[in-house]
Amino acid sequence: MDKIRVLIAKPGLDGHDRGALVISQALRDAGMEVIYTGLRQTPKQIVRAAVQEDVDVIGLSSLSGAHNVLFPEVLKELSRNEAEDILVFGGGVIPLEDIQVLEKNGILKIFTPGTSTKVVATYIEQAVAEHRGETPMLQTPPKRVDHIGIAVKSIEETAVFYSNHFHVNVETIAEVPDQGVRVAFLPLGNCKIELLEPLDENSPIHAFIEKRGEGLHHVAFEIDNIQQRLDQLKAEGIRLIDEKPKKGASGNPIAFLHPKSTYGALIELYESKQDAENEGGQ
Amino acid sequence: MKEYKQSFTKWQEQIQQELKKRPERKDTFQTSSNIPIERAYFPDKIDNAYIKSLGFPGEYPFTRGIRGTMYRGKHWTMRQYAGFGSAKETNERFRYLLDQGQTGLSVAFDLPTQIGYDSDDTMALGEVGKVGVAIDSLEDMEILFDKISLNQVSTSMTINAPAAVLLAMYIVVAEKQGVSKEQIRGTIQNDILKEYIARGTYIYPPKASMRLITDIFAYCSENVPSFNTISISGYHIREAGSTAVQELAFTLSNAVAYVESALEAGLDIDQFAPRLAFFFNGHNEFFEEVAKFRAARRMWAKLMKERFHAKNPKSWQLRFHTQVAGSTLTAQQPENNVVRVALQALAAVFGGTQSLHTNSKDEALSLPTEDSARIALRTQQIIAHETGVSDTVDPLGGSYYVESLTDELEAEAQKYMDHIDDMGGAVSAVEKQYMQREIHRAAYEAQKRLENEEDIVVGVNKFTVGDEQQPDLLKVDEAFVESQIERLNQIRKERDQEKVSDILEKLKKSAEGKENLMYPIIEAVKEYATVGEICHALRDVYGEY
Repeated sequence: MDKIRVLIAKPGLDGHDRGALVISQALRDAGMEVIYTGLRQTPKQIVRAAVQEDVDVIGLSSLSGAHNVLFPEVLKELSRNEAEDILVFGGGVIPLEDIQVLEKNGILKIFTPGTSTKVVATYIEQAVAEHRGETPMLQTPPKRVDHIGIAVKSIEETAVFYSNHFHVNVETIAEVPDQGVRVAFLPLGNCKIELLEPLDENSPIHAFIEKRGEGLHHVAFEIDNIQQRLDQLKAEGIRLIDEKPKKGASGNPIAFLHPKSTYGALIELYESKQDAENEGGQ
Repeated sequence: MKEYKQSFTKWQEQIQQELKKRPERKDTFQTSSNIPIERAYFPDKIDNAYIKSLGFPGEYPFTRGIRGTMYRGKHWTMRQYAGFGSAKETNERFRYLLDQGQTGLSVAFDLPTQIGYDSDDTMALGEVGKVGVAIDSLEDMEILFDKISLNQVSTSMTINAPAAVLLAMYIVVAEKQGVSKEQIRGTIQNDILKEYIARGTYIYPPKASMRLITDIFAYCSENVPSFNTISISGYHIREAGSTAVQELAFTLSNAVAYVESALEAGLDIDQFAPRLAFFFNGHNEFFEEVAKFRAARRMWAKLMKERFHAKNPKSWQLRFHTQVAGSTLTAQQPENNVVRVALQALAAVFGGTQSLHTNSKDEALSLPTEDSARIALRTQQIIAHETGVSDTVDPLGGSYYVESLTDELEAEAQKYMDHIDDMGGAVSAVEKQYMQREIHRAAYEAQKRLENEEDIVVGVNKFTVGDEQQPDLLKVDEAFVESQIERLNQIRKERDQEKVSDILEKLKKSAEGKENLMYPIIEAVKEYATVGEICHALRDVYGEY
């Protein structure tokens, strides 16, 4: 893989370049070639420098509130120069609602104050690798929610509730002794409800119910390339419960992320294999 | 021993004299348990070492403060930096803050104004009115101070490269209100060296910039005696990531450069030195900050007396403004910032600051809303009026830890300053990027410590919570930019264009020669020449850095 080339730029008149300088240094330490434009660059100057230096990525930094005007102007200038293949990310003092708009309009990612430089470096490495076609696409959202896990004391009792009041019925029931659970799947649209019942007192589900009562336990996202996803998340500093995928109730590979890293939600990654498709469903 | 007893008695007598002119806030001070609070506390034995390193409050070397009574006489000036959008909006915010009990104004200008561009300049795209108020011509300045009597308030202006222009506008607005040059009080930041080092709003090369600064010193010492002609700033050096020692050393090295430049221009030290002011950062590490302020005073007093042979005690006194550290505010759990600000402000008060800006909790996210600006002001009002910390002078003086830190900071800063002297002084060190590199290294190391969790930032790398709610933020109305530009065009149409062109030509001639530039700049401002036009005229002569 060729060295990643990055242009860090300060558009507009803002003179606060501590962040830009620190990011430049951190990306250099991560093995990238980094060019820093210095202060007070117009979007035209930034794009000219990016094209001349043949960079993969432009990083924009603004703390003066001019981002809504200047960042899109850089994108426009890139397209005028037929250089849209250069990825653009940004950072600085940028309110959340502006981030959504900027990302929707073509800024790849906005990093807010407090983001660790490691996250930024890992993100850029992955984004460039995907862009160059060197790795599978990992920076895409999960395909869908595969199922929602609910911890219950008794599958049979709970199933009656779903059947009587929502007219959703259990399709399969299976035991997964490895994990000390018995599970039932209830298909619902393109998703499923998974009821989890403890097999015995050593079951993690038993502990969960003891501590927090019955209720929502986890949410499972369907994704591709589960091992690469896990590696990427780990590199981004996310704590994993399973560093290698294990076999789930449906026979497909699954893995859990640690709720400490996910703001409290237990997230399961689930990869559906062609040959195993629909198993546990229908 | 006897002579020290005498000097103590003499100090007490002097205070009694002063009290006749300026009495303290109360006749007696006491704690909740009726324990009387002395004006200041001293070691059992006052000896030579004490006199040399600490001295009495209000006396050389001023380690314990520049006034004998400090906050027992008068609290520090509560001065909140404010400004956004149009002059009209900012004027409303100013009058709100004055109504809330603020005692001084502090103007934030937008970046185009700070770098000498008019609002319609292509370089100003996206920046007009963003981080401060947009000032193009005298008319904007008239609106900014509408219904605010300039003989009633002191005004601090964060303006550097175009400081001469904005000061000229302030003088002219005052005159139009019937307030004379002698009566106006305030400060212009006017500290260009730290712009090259840390803040970025420079225009001209260092030598030309230094000339503008000494012209201001000279003009003000004759005409505007109550205005601080410069606020030599460590604040931005610290924000850029320096350590406390670097902040102290680089600020004082810059100050030495200004003094030398003014002396070279033929000014008398005691004529301009009493109007030099300082501006420091109030950061997290509590005792080190207190020690920093105390060390700064002692170092400056020694410099002025021993190196520059100033005779006037006012030249020896380091007066300073403090703003608490913006870079320590977190976007995560913004309410926590209120606590950070309170603690940082308390350190500044223990350090004997003359004025104080407390940050608003939402400033890591955007400019402060009116609500959060009020909480910020209330924070220092609570320190002043509820905690009792202002009832005795230099309450931490004599603490083994604080005195030792004060000595250490002085020694470490002195090493840096000696090195900068060896490099040929601050101007040359700036040109060689020496300070910039030192600061950057410190900033990067701090970031690494943070990421390795050697340093803890509550709510960022520890004690985080999920599901952060973003608070309501201030939105600057973008529509005003159009009307700002419209008004600017209107002014250009209505003024006497020929006169304006003549004066700008004259200004260029003066810039090539030696005449004090304040005079032609005041003339230009009166004819409604704009900030951009005046700065461009000087760019034609001096070039850009």
